[in-house]
Amino acid sequence: MTRKIAVLLSALIVSIVLLAGCSGGNAAKTGAADAGKELVYATAKDINDMNPHLYPGSLPAQGMVYESLVENTEEGIKPLLAESWDVSEDGKVYTFHLRKDVKFHDGEPFNAEAVKKNIEAVQSNAGKHAWIKLSTKIVSVNVLDEHTFELVLSEPYYPALLELSMTRPYVFISPKDFVNGETKDGVSGHNGTGPYKLMEQKTDQYATFEANENYWGGAPKLNKITAKVLPAGETTFLALQKGEVNFIFTDDRGSDSIDVDAMNQLMDSGDFQLIRSKAMNTKMIVANSSKSDSPAHETAVREAIWYSIDRETISKQIFSGTETAANTLFSPNVNYANVELKQRGFDLDTAKQLLEKAGWKLGAGSEVRTKDGKPLAMKLYYDVSSSSQKTEAEFIQSTLKMVGVQLELFGEESSSIANRRATGDYDLLFNQTWGLAYDPQSTISAFTSESAYYHTTSGISKADELYKKIDEVMITMDEEKRKSLYADILTIVHDEAVFIPLTNGSVTIVAPTDLQGISFKQTQFELPFEQMYFE
Amino acid sequence: MISYIIKRSLLSIPLLVIISFLTFGLNHLSPLDPAEVILHAQGVPTITDELIAETKAALGMDRPFLIRYLHWLVSCLQLDFGNSYVTGKTVWSLLAPAFLNTLKLTLVSAAAIIALSIGLGVISARREGKMTDKSIRGVSFFLTSMPPYWLAALMVWYFSVQLDLLPTSGMDSYESYILPVIVITISYTGIYFRMIRSSMLSNMNEDYVLYGRASGLPEQKITLHILRNSLQVAISVFCMAIPIILGSTVVVENIFAWPGLGTLSVKSILSRDFPIIQAYVLVLAIAFVLFNTVSDIMNAAMNPKLRKGH
Repeated sequence: MTRKIAVLLSALIVSIVLLAGCSGGNAAKTGAADAGKELVYATAKDINDMNPHLYPGSLPAQGMVYESLVENTEEGIKPLLAESWDVSEDGKVYTFHLRKDVKFHDGEPFNAEAVKKNIEAVQSNAGKHAWIKLSTKIVSVNVLDEHTFELVLSEPYYPALLELSMTRPYVFISPKDFVNGETKDGVSGHNGTGPYKLMEQKTDQYATFEANENYWGGAPKLNKITAKVLPAGETTFLALQKGEVNFIFTDDRGSDSIDVDAMNQLMDSGDFQLIRSKAMNTKMIVANSSKSDSPAHETAVREAIWYSIDRETISKQIFSGTETAANTLFSPNVNYANVELKQRGFDLDTAKQLLEKAGWKLGAGSEVRTKDGKPLAMKLYYDVSSSSQKTEAEFIQSTLKMVGVQLELFGEESSSIANRRATGDYDLLFNQTWGLAYDPQSTISAFTSESAYYHTTSGISKADELYKKIDEVMITMDEEKRKSLYADILTIVHDEAVFIPLTNGSVTIVAPTDLQGISFKQTQFELPFEQMYFE
Repeated sequence: MISYIIKRSLLSIPLLVIISFLTFGLNHLSPLDPAEVILHAQGVPTITDELIAETKAALGMDRPFLIRYLHWLVSCLQLDFGNSYVTGKTVWSLLAPAFLNTLKLTLVSAAAIIALSIGLGVISARREGKMTDKSIRGVSFFLTSMPPYWLAALMVWYFSVQLDLLPTSGMDSYESYILPVIVITISYTGIYFRMIRSSMLSNMNEDYVLYGRASGLPEQKITLHILRNSLQVAISVFCMAIPIILGSTVVVENIFAWPGLGTLSVKSILSRDFPIIQAYVLVLAIAFVLFNTVSDIMNAAMNPKLRKGH
């Protein structure tokens, strides 16, 4: 009996191996690199609901399928679906002249009527779009002729074109896909005007996009793009090595799916190239200036924290050089942010002096400074799913200890951190700016918003002046005045040290060596796939 | 026997009600406002008070807890678990395919685990203390002590990347099953085969074995008798193996990008998609109660002594 079972067992094992051996080879070789130069990128999450007027969908995927009226580039706003536009003298009426050769993926014409329907669909769900200030200023959309329409605003708003250039919500989907004349409760199809059409979406498995042969800008050269859902970084790395996936890029939360060592290993194989965008955003620690019982309420304490952070070491050791040290809230390549500001390097002595001067004394034999019997202790909240934030927090905790500041660390879900930011229930927390295309206007208008940075900014002495200047900068039509207002705003928050910068993050792409035409957009959220081609 | 089955099945109903209540209560243990969670989960960039109030009213969250619970329970009985916070799709349309995918993986793995652990258990018991027994136990100890994610990564690296035999991940073909099933099988066989082995060993010292040998029964027949008696103990354990595997495929599914319950649950937990988490917990709890009941009934069928107590 025993011998029989042993024979059976070994037969079973042998047959499994044989089965794997004979049938596995061809099916597994759907490897992207071999299958007609198709691009297969790994994504940690499903591309989700592709309705362009809501927010759950994947930004890079929506960027392939839908287009906006104008495009934000390094040289400023450029035409996209709108060929040209005029702004009335009072800054309230924008007249757009649309391209005439554009059709939606389902063949429907893209015209002023379609634009009107789309913008009205967005406006009817205004609550969800409160973050985009333009949504609160649109009064009406009037069709002038087939390819001309005007957008009427309640007051002049200088970032209007910028906000029209964003990946969502002011992008266009075929009115045939509307459900009951609306998009807020879902859409029946995903026909945009973009260079790629969404062909198939298998939830949590993959989604495929095919080149739009009738694209007004000329059919893209890569004729197929697949987004493959791979939740674990190890799997992504192995799938890249095998060729099942041949392209990865930084996700919309700013994290890379594989680590620096894995990237280097792929580079060393000679099959892949690594491309990094310039700085796109600033990762920072936000201090609560309005919480009067917290030491973070004091400017000197916030400045001391700034001086006690060794950004060079964070950049080199924690990010292996993939992120650069940041010295200001916005890097100088952000519009209007090239402003002369006081440098605060890593300098523990200055930090100690600042605290000493502010009355925080270090008692004999004690490790934590005190003032009026109160210890210099604060709570720092970080995103529990970000491994780099945890390491940074621990590192910062250790250097702050050297100047007599005690930090308690708390890892929480990102939604819980957003909740703390909105309610003001924090001393310090990790955050990041919105990114190139959105900055400085989106991050700065968030200074005044209860749900964003109101608690961060409202405790500083010049808060009223700051808010007044922010209101002004959004409506002024005078470029020189806008520059000087932005400079003032940035100087106020810099001097008050409420946003303590850490590093500048960028977008990373790992692509096959023979892939050409790789470039970046002005946002960290999407890529110009239509310009890529294999050599 | 029939009355036992009815009694035993009825007993599980109050248990299920308690479980459903606890599951629903989960939502309220979170310090966050569910309306806010929904809006965050939907990626709404800025959340205003009006938006929160609007969302609450739309979802009926302003009603008292017990009324909401009863409403939820009644809809769950009709397989309506509500809508996902994140995608707005019905929970059923997300849960059902994921459940089926995981069930496929679980059933194939359970079959492999049962076959292997019985086989290895019998061999090991028959060769107790000999080299075969020692090496089977040694190897299984080594394999079960390896963390599944590491084992999985190692297998993918060797079989998919180096030998180029199998796909690294996904659920595209029959080949996709091989690596995940092997990983799950390895993690559980070590535990179950040891149980069969010890149960076989304790049976070997029973009087009926001695009697069988004395009356000259062939060794094979004796082994079969021992196995049948040993399996009685094992059946309840095997029954529970199915819900256990069903609920513990998280790691394997994540690594192999298997679109099942494990992946869905992790995703939902991270985005606080409570309707899916509730339905997931409920489905697993039902699976546990169900298989537990079935194993009790099967045991009772084989051993009349157990029925008398009821």
